[in-house]
Amino acid sequence: MPASLRDLRQRRSSVTTIKKVTRAMELIAASRIVKAQQRAQSSAPYARELTRAVSAVATFSNVEHPLTTESDNPTRAAVLLITSDRGLAGAYSSSVIRAGEELNQLLRENGKTAVSYLAGRKATAFYGFRRREVAGSWEGFSDAPTYAHAREIADALIEAFLKPTEEGGVDEIHVVYTRFVSMLTQKAEVIRLLPLEVVEDTEPPSKSDVLPLYEFEPDAETVLDELLPLYVASRIQYCLLQAAASELASRQRAMKSATDNAQQLIERLTREANQARQAEITQEISEIVGGSAALAEATAGVD
Amino acid sequence: MSVDTTLEAPQAPTSGGVGRVSRVIGPVVDVEFPVDQMPDIYNALQVDITIGDATRTITMEVALQIGDNLVRAISLKPTDGMRRGSEVRDTGGPISVPVGNITKGHVWDVTGNVLDVDASTIQIDERWSIHRPPPAFDQLESKTEMLETGIKVLDLLTPYVTGGKIGLFGGAGVGKTVLIQEMIYRIAHNFGGTSVFAGVGERTREGNDLINEMEEAGVFKDTALVFGQMDEPPGTRLRVALSALTMAEYFRDVQNQDVLLFIDNIFRFTQAGSEVSTLLGRMPSAVGYQPNLADEMGQLQERITSTRGHSITSMQAIYVPADDYTDPAPATTFAHLDATTELSREIASRGLYPAVDPLSSTSRILDPQYIGQRHYDVAVQVKQLLQRNKELQDIIAILGVDELSEEDKIAVNRARRIQQFLSQNTYMAEKFTNIEGSTVPLADTIDSFEMIVSGKVDHIAEQAFFNVGSMEDVERRWSELQKDS
Repeated sequence: MPASLRDLRQRRSSVTTIKKVTRAMELIAASRIVKAQQRAQSSAPYARELTRAVSAVATFSNVEHPLTTESDNPTRAAVLLITSDRGLAGAYSSSVIRAGEELNQLLRENGKTAVSYLAGRKATAFYGFRRREVAGSWEGFSDAPTYAHAREIADALIEAFLKPTEEGGVDEIHVVYTRFVSMLTQKAEVIRLLPLEVVEDTEPPSKSDVLPLYEFEPDAETVLDELLPLYVASRIQYCLLQAAASELASRQRAMKSATDNAQQLIERLTREANQARQAEITQEISEIVGGSAALAEATAGVD
Repeated sequence: MSVDTTLEAPQAPTSGGVGRVSRVIGPVVDVEFPVDQMPDIYNALQVDITIGDATRTITMEVALQIGDNLVRAISLKPTDGMRRGSEVRDTGGPISVPVGNITKGHVWDVTGNVLDVDASTIQIDERWSIHRPPPAFDQLESKTEMLETGIKVLDLLTPYVTGGKIGLFGGAGVGKTVLIQEMIYRIAHNFGGTSVFAGVGERTREGNDLINEMEEAGVFKDTALVFGQMDEPPGTRLRVALSALTMAEYFRDVQNQDVLLFIDNIFRFTQAGSEVSTLLGRMPSAVGYQPNLADEMGQLQERITSTRGHSITSMQAIYVPADDYTDPAPATTFAHLDATTELSREIASRGLYPAVDPLSSTSRILDPQYIGQRHYDVAVQVKQLLQRNKELQDIIAILGVDELSEEDKIAVNRARRIQQFLSQNTYMAEKFTNIEGSTVPLADTIDSFEMIVSGKVDHIAEQAFFNVGSMEDVERRWSELQKDS
């Protein structure tokens, strides 16, 4: 009987409360995830088309646009971390943060300074606790991001990119987010947004494909000017939606295992409490029986 | 009548009356005496028993006078072969044991018979009764000084008091006896004074191991050992601690020495008292213990004390039945101790030895007034971190470590390092681990824990903290680990 009965009951009731919370969170996440998944998937075609258009313009125009040219000597790189606002999602935020830390390390080794942009309260808390400098942070939309949020982030990033490096601008933009592979797998990933890496999705163009010939109206530069911010915003929007779906999936999974763990703990505590209770009862019975037997013996001696 | 060692004892068998055995119930013997020769309570009685050709002399102690010219006595040896009507001699005084230098380097039993050599080779000059009053109030030592052991967890969290009483609590098999032996090795070795060891109701084999180890360590010649182990009747186990204590008191009061008294295990003393109590027909009290549990314990513990200038530092192992610290036996002992070291099964099962529970162990002198502000602060910070870690365990078990806030993550990481660092390589464990023991000076202990608490060693992996001595060892281990990987 290592712990007292009262202690065990107290712990059991607090674990039961936690279990209720985690169970509710699990159900909420489960009901939201379908929608988030649909949104993430439905944003994919637009993002793909836009990427194709941008790469076409960039490939066929030979225009020296500031958004497409790589700096000769990049010294500052913006890193956008997309994490969740709320916890209870297992390792979701911490694996993004870890990927971000690895990227920062890599950038440092290449002689670049990382400039941090953060989306989600978890990242802000992580940087705030370590008193690190943050160039910009956004909060409050991690599980249901809209295009307006993506636009806001994109504007800030593009502004920093267009500014000369000496005045606090950046030469590169990286995004660390969680890609939604399936309900069971989500992967923290790093992509470089700018300068443009023209990679057209996964399938390489086959030889037989006739590449279209483009004409730009009024000229390639204007088209790029319009297209590129749109492209950045749509990529960020895509990342945010993927991240939101991943967050919900990971929360559902984390809460499911938390509920299971709580259930196990409750079972163990119940068993221990029952044992303690039974031990107490047995103890008392044997004391009473022993005492009365001793009394009976004593009086029997007198008679 | 054969010649027995007990008969050579100075007290004349004729000094008291002669009675007859009237009833024998196991170790309880009722004896009838002539009305003018009734023996006093605590007087030793002797009776000769003949089984076949062998004759033994048995010592008994008077426990009750039950009227009708009868006394009820507790036998200190098995009573098989005793007959009604056998002659019983009253020795006229309580059980006595030899005292003085002759006791050092020998093994004794409860009635003062030497066990390791032939009794005829030993010249006993003086015997003292094992029932003595505790020192007077005005003679008690008022000064408080810390006793350094070189074991980090003990020095930091449960600093021992020179001349104080130290209790090692623990359930079965968490390392009480090993820790007592470690203490004998560490303290007696550097101490140079006299030690007395009382083996109360523990394994006879362990007593044997102890003698061998003491001989190897070269402290046997300064140590008196008194054994009344598991195979002895309850009367012996109830008195053997007093016999050892009497020898220690002689060194303290007559030879004016500082004495170390080791008792393994006080619980067996209580248990024997409970057996005797039942045999005497007393009404059992809580959990079936004797009704005079606190009184019996008080009589023993109050005698283990330091008088002005001369100390008895005692270290007592206390078995905790079923790991339940609220059991009356350990609970009664708590109040008498200056420092309590609790050994925990949970920590032992994680392989961290000595398995001291850092949160429940404490000491009277864990107070800035005695040990200094810095030591106190570090000890409190260490306890706070461990407490925080303990509170977070349920959350970690349910939600995982990722859900903790940044502050809590750091607290948990440091607490885990502290838990590992509280383990230490000990001399007695060398035969299990093949790692030689280490002695860490108090200043190093405080420095090391301060480094962990303040986060200076957060970069070092946890396993480097396991089973090592000082922080230098940790750093050495860490550089080896880095080389390997």
